[in-house]
Amino acid sequence: MNRSLESSPQAFSTDPWKTRIDRVFARALLIPLAMAIGLLALLLGDTVYRSFSVQVVRADEGPGKTYPFGLSANEILRQELLARGYTEEEVRFSLQDPTERRVLLLQNRVELMWSTQDGPFRYVVTGLRDERVADFSLAEGLRRWNELKANLKEGERLVLNPWLDQSFLTRTPSRSPLTAGIGVAIWGTAWVLSLALLIAIPVGIGTAILLEEYLREGTLNRILEVNLRNLAGVPSIVYGLLGLALFVREFGLGPSILAAALTLGLLGIPVIVVTSREALRAVPESLRQAAFALGATRRQVVFRVVVPAALPGMVTGVILSAARLIGEAAPLLLVGAAAYVPFFPNGPMSEYTVVPVQIYLWVSMNIPEFSRVAAAGILVMLAMLSGLYLMALYLRNRFRREW
Amino acid sequence: MSLELLKDHETVRSAPVSEAEALVDVRRLNLWYGKKQALYDISVRFPRNQITAIIGPSGCGKSTLLRSLNRMNDLIPGVRVEGEVLYEGVNIYDPRVDPVAVRRQIGMVFQKPNPFPKTIFENVAFGLRLMGVKGSELEDRVVEALKRAALWNEVQDRFKKESGLRLSGGQQQRLCIARAIAVEPPLLLMDEPTSALDPIATQAIEDLIAELKRRYTVVIVTHNMQQAARISDRTLFMHLGVLVEEGPTEIIFTKPKHPYTEAYITGRFG
Repeated sequence: MNRSLESSPQAFSTDPWKTRIDRVFARALLIPLAMAIGLLALLLGDTVYRSFSVQVVRADEGPGKTYPFGLSANEILRQELLARGYTEEEVRFSLQDPTERRVLLLQNRVELMWSTQDGPFRYVVTGLRDERVADFSLAEGLRRWNELKANLKEGERLVLNPWLDQSFLTRTPSRSPLTAGIGVAIWGTAWVLSLALLIAIPVGIGTAILLEEYLREGTLNRILEVNLRNLAGVPSIVYGLLGLALFVREFGLGPSILAAALTLGLLGIPVIVVTSREALRAVPESLRQAAFALGATRRQVVFRVVVPAALPGMVTGVILSAARLIGEAAPLLLVGAAAYVPFFPNGPMSEYTVVPVQIYLWVSMNIPEFSRVAAAGILVMLAMLSGLYLMALYLRNRFRREW
Repeated sequence: MSLELLKDHETVRSAPVSEAEALVDVRRLNLWYGKKQALYDISVRFPRNQITAIIGPSGCGKSTLLRSLNRMNDLIPGVRVEGEVLYEGVNIYDPRVDPVAVRRQIGMVFQKPNPFPKTIFENVAFGLRLMGVKGSELEDRVVEALKRAALWNEVQDRFKKESGLRLSGGQQQRLCIARAIAVEPPLLLMDEPTSALDPIATQAIEDLIAELKRRYTVVIVTHNMQQAARISDRTLFMHLGVLVEEGPTEIIFTKPKHPYTEAYITGRFG
């Protein structure tokens, strides 16, 4: 007692060692943060850097021959093949048989693309050719710019090529990196994702409401709880196998958008159920009590009070699961996202490819410039994901509730 | 103060309420949460247009008794009820009675203010909408309820836009009272309505309750004995799920007959 009174001025002084340890500890916590930010910045910077290059291209070959709008693709193919010396009979055979026609396109003996330079009202047909003469990384190209410029041959020009430009977003895939675009893949992603969400949102939110509001205490609820959490953690390729066996083969949907949407829908359901349940659980019990005490039936309590209060959380959950589905490549490779789709998808049964699959295929191509195309594709993918996350963030803040 | 001593306790009654005066008549009510019995053989009458306070130590079954008057206990899984609660002569535990219809007749205000995350207008309109009130009548009745809950002056310029959650705690509780009385329930149940509020807000609510007595019958559970003494006409003292004593408030607080009541009133346990 006495001693503590004597030392009382010191009782409030700080222990220098404790302060020092505290400070070191707080600083040490910054290291992993700095590492994470640094790595991400490096990754993003590298991708952006790779999406630019300096190229020597041969200008004289041009974009190919243009045909007036309204001419059918078959007619253009026919004329083009005839011009290249195929006989009338061969051409007719090739065009009648869909597999043959596809092979023609695949082998790039004839490539059809929407024109990007000559306006949207013409088809441009290009033959197989490689415009590239040389391709340099940004640093090397800029350093040697003058030297390269001096050494250009007749008909060649030196360009700084930003691979991610406006037309990249609308072009179809191609054998030539210069004309390859991500347009078809973006459309494919839009189709597959919207159909998948159309399946997953009602099923997922319905299940969540049923489990959380109607079967709260049941055994069924407990069994499903464990299973749903497990399902949410199953590797996505397993869903791909299921989709292949069930939708592609058993139901005979083939490699179509619908089969992919069903597979991704299944993949999205557990995530949506889990996040929606958490949103519903966050609604205070006192609100339900208040509604019941006013004489609301359970249906009125759920749909007039609980669901509106939980909606922001549910919407955020759906968007985050959509962000996960956008990035899935593995299950779609199994259910038949095609390597080369030269046409925009026009319905749930058409062939498709999606952005991550397209990137994967570009990365595995053996023409070096495709790594630049892939980098541009990755940037597009990142922009789509960031857009979704920003949307989730906005909605969360917009509807923030204090209880 | 063991349960054994109270086991076959006969409630001590002063100035009992006649059947004609009673709006609610509870007869031999027993209630179990699973295997645990929470209410033992409660018989009591709640007179019309009076305020009846229920007091007693924590866990004595005050809230349980209150919540069995509008069948809110039904929402808790594993609840079993025996006995009768006659409301206007009708047993609300009759199997033919719909608990939802019962709750529309009986308003309830909770311990913590619990406005919906909607506008002030929508909060008050909730019960009316359930009853199918629409248009200008809806608006009139919302305004009327806000006035009666003494909230109108504070919110009249913003009640259609502002969320109920933006109000202060005392205002939120008055909003909850407005929500409960908007449907004109003859009976209003209040479960410790001021325990989460500061003294000034408590004062406002108590004034309001005294005002409400003219139109409604009020049953209020309270932890605060002074509050019971201040506002109520009759008082029930409960202990361990048993109704120990009931009678006019001044008798309970000045000349309690049962030793437990006296011990609780004088603060020897609680």
